[in-house]
Amino acid sequence: MDEVKIGVFICNCGDTISKSVDLLDIRARLEKLADVALVSIGHDLCSPQAQQAIRKDIIDNGINRVVIAACSPQLYGDALANLVEKAGLNRHLLSVANIREQCSWVHPDKDKATKKAMVQIRMAVDKVRLQDVVEQAEVEVYKDVLVIGGGIVGMEVAIELSNLNLRTTLIEKEANLGGRLKQFAALYPLQVTPEEMLTSRLKQVTGSENIDALTSAGLKDLSGEVGNFTAKIRKGNEEISRNFGAIILATGYETLFLDKVYGFELGDNIITQSQLEGMLKSPGEIKKIPQSVGFVFDICDEHSRISTPSTLRNALVIKERFGSEVYVLCRNLQVDGAGLEKLYQDVRNKGVIFFKFERFPKVLRENGKINIQVEDLSMAREQVMLSCDLLVVEEKVVPHQDFATLESMLNIGLGPRDFYQEDNVHLYPTSSTKSGIFFAGNCHQDLDLGRALTDASNAASEAYQLISSGKMRVEVERVVVDPDKCALCLTCLRFCPHDAIRIDYEKKTAHILDLACQGCGICAAVCPAKAIKFKDWSDDQILAELEVV
Amino acid sequence: MVNKSVLVLGGGIAGVASSLRLAVNGFKVYLVEREPTIGGAALFFCCKATEACNQCSVCLVPEKIAEVKAQPQISLLTNSQVAEISGQVGDFSVRLIQRPRFVDPEKCTACGVCAELCPSQPNKAIYLPSPQALPYAYAIDKNNCLHFNGVECNICSQECPFGAIDFDRSPEKIELSVDAIIIATGFDVFNAKEKGCLGYGRYTNVLTGLDLERKFSTQGSITLPSSGKAPQNVAFIQCVGSRDVHIGNGYCSQICCKYAMRFAKLLQYQHPETKITIFYMDLQTAGKGFGEFYQQCKETIRFVRGIPVEISEISPDELEVKYEDFIEGKVAKEIFDLVILSVGITPRKDSSNIARILGINLGEWGFFDTQDHLDSTETNVEGIFVAGTCHGPKDIPESIAHGAQAASKVIQTLAARGI
Repeated sequence: MDEVKIGVFICNCGDTISKSVDLLDIRARLEKLADVALVSIGHDLCSPQAQQAIRKDIIDNGINRVVIAACSPQLYGDALANLVEKAGLNRHLLSVANIREQCSWVHPDKDKATKKAMVQIRMAVDKVRLQDVVEQAEVEVYKDVLVIGGGIVGMEVAIELSNLNLRTTLIEKEANLGGRLKQFAALYPLQVTPEEMLTSRLKQVTGSENIDALTSAGLKDLSGEVGNFTAKIRKGNEEISRNFGAIILATGYETLFLDKVYGFELGDNIITQSQLEGMLKSPGEIKKIPQSVGFVFDICDEHSRISTPSTLRNALVIKERFGSEVYVLCRNLQVDGAGLEKLYQDVRNKGVIFFKFERFPKVLRENGKINIQVEDLSMAREQVMLSCDLLVVEEKVVPHQDFATLESMLNIGLGPRDFYQEDNVHLYPTSSTKSGIFFAGNCHQDLDLGRALTDASNAASEAYQLISSGKMRVEVERVVVDPDKCALCLTCLRFCPHDAIRIDYEKKTAHILDLACQGCGICAAVCPAKAIKFKDWSDDQILAELEVV
Repeated sequence: MVNKSVLVLGGGIAGVASSLRLAVNGFKVYLVEREPTIGGAALFFCCKATEACNQCSVCLVPEKIAEVKAQPQISLLTNSQVAEISGQVGDFSVRLIQRPRFVDPEKCTACGVCAELCPSQPNKAIYLPSPQALPYAYAIDKNNCLHFNGVECNICSQECPFGAIDFDRSPEKIELSVDAIIIATGFDVFNAKEKGCLGYGRYTNVLTGLDLERKFSTQGSITLPSSGKAPQNVAFIQCVGSRDVHIGNGYCSQICCKYAMRFAKLLQYQHPETKITIFYMDLQTAGKGFGEFYQQCKETIRFVRGIPVEISEISPDELEVKYEDFIEGKVAKEIFDLVILSVGITPRKDSSNIARILGINLGEWGFFDTQDHLDSTETNVEGIFVAGTCHGPKDIPESIAHGAQAASKVIQTLAARGI
């Protein structure tokens, strides 16, 4: 290795830092340090002139490691790395010491602040001395996306990807596309009917050259990493193998009737929302028009975005179609969705009567009728007896039964309620923990239709952003495994949250997939044999930094 | 790199999300913001974490602002407003007016010398809009500045080490030509004074949710405005200005139940003995992880169904809240020392003006309308899209998602038309 020549560039930020930090003293002491070839103090390093000067200093003095002592790297970190790169050095050969926000601005005592700034800069110097080069490379990726689930969300994802000129394979386990939308009796507060929405989406799916929709199909196996997944898809007896750059899961949800929570069983006149939707969809099944219908939800503290809209919708359909008496019993109406408060007002104006209960009403079966005893809060808790021909009860929204299979096949995590878990619910709300796999719709969040379609759009554009150029930039071997030290204990494999580690049984070592690795450093921290090195934060670097403190 | 440009009107979190999604896909973005910094309303909100993160998402704002900073495809036009728009999708002409900032953001390093020396009282006329501001530069408030109010004061411009301050700037016209437009002009907070019976503005200890955001984000805690003591018995009143057709807001603001519960938890975290009551109509508890949070809240917070009709001040520290007690079936009165009105989202007052300039429709409550009434983004004018709360109430993650959706629709629309 060449002789290490470290250049330290200190920013005075418009002479504000020198108010509490003695920069001249620091310079004098830094110049005595081993390997420090240049120490320079600038007025404002963020100005283009100063950056030009730094570049020149690096080149003229043969500097091969750079320390910049200035403001928070949050502000100019990337720009400084670019600057180092422009001066012909690898962008990782830079260390930034934040002597503004973390020192001069917060410590008025000049002696102490100077001492701290010196420590900060020395830490950066000792760290950058041991820094390894990390090269970047460009890797070709497939511009194809696999969408799993052919409900409204999966179709929306495929359509948007097709509009963005990406090829999509859409797989659906049932014989027809459309998912739960096929069962809906209405889409209030929307003006369109489910049939109209489904027809228009189907037309777009079948009319697009970019979409290959495979029904009665399922994923059998998946291998590879982001940009280069290989999926085995089973369709009937056939098995199709295809390559994809990204995968979007839109597997939706299932519903389950919780008889234990409700304390009664379903029957002819007690049915679930799904059963009601089935009846409203095929009017032949309705033998006798119910004169009075009750809806009840909010029993199992589900806080669902699905119960309120579906109840309001179906209550309105029944009112309009049969003119029946309709009662809705619940704790809280979830009206925090587009148009739902308006729909609630409309439904009330049509004559549907709402009871908000604190205690769950009593449900009694009598002579083919359902009697519901409920406290009317607006009438001083008077006990009201409602007699209904039909009672419709909510269901629990549960993950799809295929979840567990898909989860283990794709190696992604499940969250608290066994729905898919995002990498970061807020920052990357549609990304799984595994790079290149995204979620859309109710398979990972509790969403109403409007929110689900927004989510679909977001998942599609995340995938587009990732693979549309056909190339991905990657940091090559930022994390490396020393095969001589690796004992194949599989600890790293178990800890890696991003499924970025594979085992090479021939060479008897673990190795890191550069594309899938997100640089969290967990593997390097947990490896019992210290076989894994994270080049930006190696053990030697961290120990060297601690040495200074 | 695509040779297309988009105007994003509004630098709040939705507009920022739109701009980022467009910029990473190679689009040139003009991000227009009327204030001196981007970040919008949420920039001034506070983190509501207790011992655990309560997922208020306010931390996403500086995160996204940092991304904008690193994005060369985005041109920031702060202090700017749109004056005129003509043309159609693929070829819009836009005229903007940029009011002078009097501080050159290219030269200013936010060193703070100017503000230290500024003689203006009680508020400094030259200020950094926020520690997370972008551009990260000071700005001059003309109304406060002595120089613009008949005094020969040039202290800041003389003392600025970077020569960044120039008083002789006048408004500039900026002409742009863009392929598509995203409107993300945000919302106004409901003016609680419209509900006179609740006493906001008259009683010292009646505050709004927005006041809490400001107090927590600047001071880190809250005390009674009347006495400076810690609050003992606090009431939150939900749906102030929301779900109320009488004042023309027949919609749920979608944010207030969540922020009220998070604030309540935060208050109790800082002062465990504080009693808290939340008066509500229907609690909006859906959303990933929020149901579980509500269950925790129920352990220490009292929830009362019913919205109080009147507040009267008995003494500055004693507010009598009159409400209908549904459980007992009578009108009840109770004394609190602090009342928080959970105000919601309303359309911006200037939205009809923007609608007129752009030729787009307003919906029933005054938000910008879209083609279907779900959370879509397409307006009646092709090539003009809406994002975020200017289209209807949304929380921070939903505004970000909606912003990104609008950007994606722009890309799709332009691709379909071969523009």
